[in-house]
Amino acid sequence: MKRMKLTQQEIVLAVFTALFLAFALFLPGFFTAANMLSLLQNVAVLGILGLAMAIVVLGRGIDISLIAALAVPPGLLLQMVQDGHSLFASVATALLLSLAFGIVNGWLIAYAEVPSLFATLATGLFLAGVGQASLFSIDVVQWSKGMEGFQNLGQGSILGVPTPIIMFAISCAAVAFFLRRTRWGAYIYAIGDNPNAARVTGIPTRPIVVLQYVLASLIGCFAGFVMAASINSMPTRIFNSTLIYDVILVVVLGGIGLSGGRGGVVNVIIGTFLIGTLLNGMTIMDVPYAGQNLIKGVVLLLAVITDSFLNPRNEETAQQGDI
Amino acid sequence: MSGEDILTLSRATKLYGGNPAIENVDFTLRRGEIHGLVGENGAGKSTLTKVMAGVVTLTSGVMTIDGSEASPKTPLEARHLGVAMVFQENSLVPTMTVGQNLFLGQERFYNRLRGVYIAAQQFLQSLNFDVPPTTIVGTLGAAKKQMVEIARAVLHRAKIIIFDEPTATLTPEEKKYFFDLVRDLRKRGVSVVFISHALEEALTLADRITVLRDGRNVVTDDAAKFDRARIVRAMVGRDLSHTLYGVRKTAVRKAGARVLVVQNLKMAPAVKNNSLSVFAGQITGVFGLVGAGRTETFKVVAGVLKRDFFHGGEIILNDRPVRFRVPAPGVRAGIAYITEDRKVEGFFETASIAWNIYLGLLAKFPRGRALLSKREGMEVGAKWTEKLKVRAISNQARVVELSGGNQQKVVIAKSLVQEPKLVIFDEPTRGVDVGAIVEIHELINRLADEGTAVVVISSYLPEIMALSDRILVSRQGKVVEEFSALEATEEKIMYAAIH
Repeated sequence: MKRMKLTQQEIVLAVFTALFLAFALFLPGFFTAANMLSLLQNVAVLGILGLAMAIVVLGRGIDISLIAALAVPPGLLLQMVQDGHSLFASVATALLLSLAFGIVNGWLIAYAEVPSLFATLATGLFLAGVGQASLFSIDVVQWSKGMEGFQNLGQGSILGVPTPIIMFAISCAAVAFFLRRTRWGAYIYAIGDNPNAARVTGIPTRPIVVLQYVLASLIGCFAGFVMAASINSMPTRIFNSTLIYDVILVVVLGGIGLSGGRGGVVNVIIGTFLIGTLLNGMTIMDVPYAGQNLIKGVVLLLAVITDSFLNPRNEETAQQGDI
Repeated sequence: MSGEDILTLSRATKLYGGNPAIENVDFTLRRGEIHGLVGENGAGKSTLTKVMAGVVTLTSGVMTIDGSEASPKTPLEARHLGVAMVFQENSLVPTMTVGQNLFLGQERFYNRLRGVYIAAQQFLQSLNFDVPPTTIVGTLGAAKKQMVEIARAVLHRAKIIIFDEPTATLTPEEKKYFFDLVRDLRKRGVSVVFISHALEEALTLADRITVLRDGRNVVTDDAAKFDRARIVRAMVGRDLSHTLYGVRKTAVRKAGARVLVVQNLKMAPAVKNNSLSVFAGQITGVFGLVGAGRTETFKVVAGVLKRDFFHGGEIILNDRPVRFRVPAPGVRAGIAYITEDRKVEGFFETASIAWNIYLGLLAKFPRGRALLSKREGMEVGAKWTEKLKVRAISNQARVVELSGGNQQKVVIAKSLVQEPKLVIFDEPTRGVDVGAIVEIHELINRLADEGTAVVVISSYLPEIMALSDRILVSRQGKVVEEFSALEATEEKIMYAAIH
């Protein structure tokens, strides 16, 4: 069991390499500089979302509302600018909305003790509903003049590297620093490893859980900024897409155990590349949308099954019978 | 009606992870008798009854039921053999009605509730049970729930009914009614085995009594030939070879400042009007049988238990009334609660030994430690593994890979790094090897010598006797007796702990 845990990252890496090589050899147009860049660019937003999800999953939670957090605050930003507000005030409002959303999620889960899956399922639907019902004039919030300068978050390139990839890299560095080098990161791992022990040790578990969801919401919002900047609009209907499955796929496939406390940013990067390659290859092969979903579903199922074999939630089963 | 043996066990042994819970136990149950099973916590009573009820299977030994060999592997198989067990925690479905519960598992493909209720009504009346079959089980009191359980056992034509601490949750009147029920079962030719911590009950109700100690059958005899003193002697008498706990205390530490006062603490259902004090520089041993409310009391003190259960009373720490709703402020105020279940709330299994200890430090002294320091973590880890003689390949080994004793030392180190003023050890040597027990006991003594207020909760009398300066005996949710270690004897303590 222990030996297998050590090789989990290697398995995923091997799958990624095999898939990549197979596509490079047999798929014309895959291994070209242009395609490689577009592959990376396409997965940048997914990768940033993966980081947000990772922070939550490490603490034994899950955040289904991430796509709403991605779509609504940046959509609000675009809408406000369109309506004539200043860019600064709009960004500030969007961030505040995102912050408030994270706090609500965290409070529901940490203090009201609603299971994270259901809490975020409901709040995500609520936020998306608020956005579509009262904030946005049309579903795809359009770019307007006042946004001048904001597109630099998602367009162009720095030293030849497309900006979204730079944004992903910066996010990775920031989240890795937070998780591995700060006290709060250590607390998140501790809570994910054993929430009861963390509590008894004197770690303020509930505030830390709130912090996780606030960070997830803010990082989701950042991913939305990058996305809006790169495509010059915010298609808020993305909430109805299957994007959330891709995000979970990135996290689980990368090897962050759903039972908490295991994995890190490296796993998100591996997972992102693997999913990026898979999606890109399927697009080049012109696999229809339905077929893509089928394949993603199978892969997610396999990943979840593997995860529960490798990282069982074993504190219940490990208890001995009383004598 | 009584006479021939209906169930026998010979040389019955059950190992849990290599440790015997019961060892070479011989046991016979006669038809139509009431058989009391007594013994300390961990004496093997539960295991013995679980074997009969098919919850666990024997490692070696033979069980016969009705003269033929039987080894039920599931409770269902045991039920088919005529053995039913009424557990301490009810095995009824609380959201269903009494009638539905009675026939649970026997439903036909199509059920008419009315039919179920009519059958249940007739059956309950035949037993003289005053429970309406349409009541939701969750709304019943403990005694009525037990009636339903008994009725179900009778309905399944059980020849043997096993009760695990049946009277623990009953009021005196309910107890009396329960006794009548059991006697009525005997009249019907049913054999009854019951586990009890209450010796008086065993003496009045049982026909025969078996005393277990350390997994062995010490004595089985007619209840009439027992008295309280004889049972207590049989329960606590120990092998002389048990040198580990052999040393008697000849001097006790003087009490320092009064660190903790608990007044009239109430917490349903485990703690009732509990009052006690703990002093610095002294080891206060808290003895009691399971369900005596010891752990719960101290978990409330440390803030580990959720406040929903808190009903009233006062906790005074260093002359200041406190009420910790979560453990974090308790830890900051200098309390360390060291759990009895280290796997569930003790250590972090994916983290290294050093990191476990470092997390303890971070939780208590967060200031100036926004950024983690690997070096500090290693140093703290090295210092404490050295101090507590944790044996591992390295500091970076993961805690799950250690032996029970070394795991326990890591959990202790994680709390001691917080420089607590009051340390609560809950069963400090449970699942710990003998060598480590000695070291942990030395450590606890050293802590008290250094002036820390130490509480040791233990169900193991010799441990209490070996460690404590002052012994509090807990029974049914409150401290009922206090001894100085000099005047206490195992018999006196046990006498106070059972009612």
